[in-house]
Amino acid sequence: MTPNPVLEITDLDKSFGALTATKNVSFRVLPGEIHALIGPNGAGKTTLVQQIYGALAPDRGHIHLMGRDITALSIPERVRAGIGRSFQISNVLMDFTILENAIIAEQARRGDSFRFVYPAFSDASLIAGAYHILERVGLADQADRPVQDLAHGDRRMLELALALATAPSVLLLDEPMAGTGPQDSRRMADIIDQLRGQVAILLIEHDMDVVFRLADRISVLVEGAIIATGTAEEISGNDAVKAAYLGGEG
Amino acid sequence: MLGYLVDLMRLSRDGIRDNRLLWLLIAGFALFPIFTHFADLPFWNDVAMRIMLLGMAAMGLNLVLGYGGMVSFGHAAFIGIGAYCVGISQFYGITNGWAHLLFSLVACGAAGLVIGYLALRTSGIYFIMITLAFAQMLFFLFVSLETYGGDDGMSIDRAAFGVVDLYDPLRLYFLTWICLALVGLALMFIVRSRFGVTLRAIKSNESRVEAMGLVPLRFKITGYVISAVICGLAGALFASWQEYVSPDIMHWTRSGELMIIIILGGLATLAGPLLGAIVFLLLEEMLPWLLGVVAPAYAENWMILFGPILIMVVMFGRGGLVGLLDRWWAADKAGRSVR
Repeated sequence: MTPNPVLEITDLDKSFGALTATKNVSFRVLPGEIHALIGPNGAGKTTLVQQIYGALAPDRGHIHLMGRDITALSIPERVRAGIGRSFQISNVLMDFTILENAIIAEQARRGDSFRFVYPAFSDASLIAGAYHILERVGLADQADRPVQDLAHGDRRMLELALALATAPSVLLLDEPMAGTGPQDSRRMADIIDQLRGQVAILLIEHDMDVVFRLADRISVLVEGAIIATGTAEEISGNDAVKAAYLGGEG
Repeated sequence: MLGYLVDLMRLSRDGIRDNRLLWLLIAGFALFPIFTHFADLPFWNDVAMRIMLLGMAAMGLNLVLGYGGMVSFGHAAFIGIGAYCVGISQFYGITNGWAHLLFSLVACGAAGLVIGYLALRTSGIYFIMITLAFAQMLFFLFVSLETYGGDDGMSIDRAAFGVVDLYDPLRLYFLTWICLALVGLALMFIVRSRFGVTLRAIKSNESRVEAMGLVPLRFKITGYVISAVICGLAGALFASWQEYVSPDIMHWTRSGELMIIIILGGLATLAGPLLGAIVFLLLEEMLPWLLGVVAPAYAENWMILFGPILIMVVMFGRGGLVGLLDRWWAADKAGRSVR
């Protein structure tokens, strides 16, 4: 008997005019697992993530988070329900320092951002919470650096930290290694590896080495439909996947 | 309370000089009447009064424009509503000045809530156009209200502020100064509070704030209402001071004037709007006089100089005048520490 899924997608459909971007998609992300979503370009990975996140409404189907139907919720409601997200293009607060980014995330999680008097950036308990967030991705020692001055890899780390800051039950990571060099990619992979068991992760990633190293299970999306779900071994041995996806690479 | 103030003072890397400059300017306005008294230049009290009122309104708009990144092109409407609340309550026999102020603030808060709620569903150029449209709508509404003087406006008897007898114009000056200081104090707290940093975060990256589980619209509307109330306060004081109000006070060019003042002084700074108002209104006073001396034939065309000066400050003074001063101070400090 499998444990209750953290995230359960059921019969999801989405089309844009004549183009079907999501075709009857169903899959589950289990507690603590790293579940990779792979597929060739244009397979509809980002469209699917957008529907889970709440930026796009599906035409049909349901999304359950910890058994609760979140299909009709707005983005902030889903975040508070437990969905964390990192974006394909770095999405951090560019006009602030690393620490300030984390402080804003920390006060958002606590749900008390509607306060008008006491200065946020010198609040000892917010600062403590923010350092706790930054330690998880190894940015605590450069907390005072402005985000503007950061290298791309560090911005990706910060984005991951901000996604973790909302204390999500499932983390949607949309190509977290996109645009990073080999060293930063390894650093990111190590951090994601350490998160295994702490939080369920849905990982969208192109780099097959990373996927096979990290993923507990893999779902393969081709032309909007999931053609296979299984462990790395099952997927690499799957004929349909080879034909549709891996076949293209050699 | 003292702890809060101490925290504010040793705050962020960018805030300290801005803070000091704001209070330096506000202190200057308190001492200015002494200067005009001994220099026998009472006319300049009126200029200072105009600067304080326009500066106050610009400080209000700056919360939305500078800190919140919402380009509202209709804030003159709130000045107008504030001013007309004074005129209309006088018209119906309410003579208590405190009641006028209260009425103005409540009306502007309500108007800010409605306009903000509707306009903030859009962004970018659409937001600019919608705020302008609301302001124009209100402008023509007051033009058409013959009861309240229509185009010609209405004169207002000087209000009674209880123990504060405003027959002496200096008392109104100091009432305005107190309001300015309170607005400065309130904004100093707000922009650094949890609310304020969230508003600035929304300006920086709205979708990231949403991904933190917050609803940006709520913060934007709240900021919009606060800024509307501040503009309404300035408008109410303006009407009490002029003893007259007409639709002119909410002409769309005034919304533009406020934006120019903020950009001139420095977006998203505390001192910027006030400094911008000082420079803007002084240039307006001095340039015709200067041209009159240098080239009398062109004295009426002082705008020819005014425009280029504004453009130069905006182009070369990144961060407006406060940005310029800040860099100058920083360079000065660096130079001294080298020696």
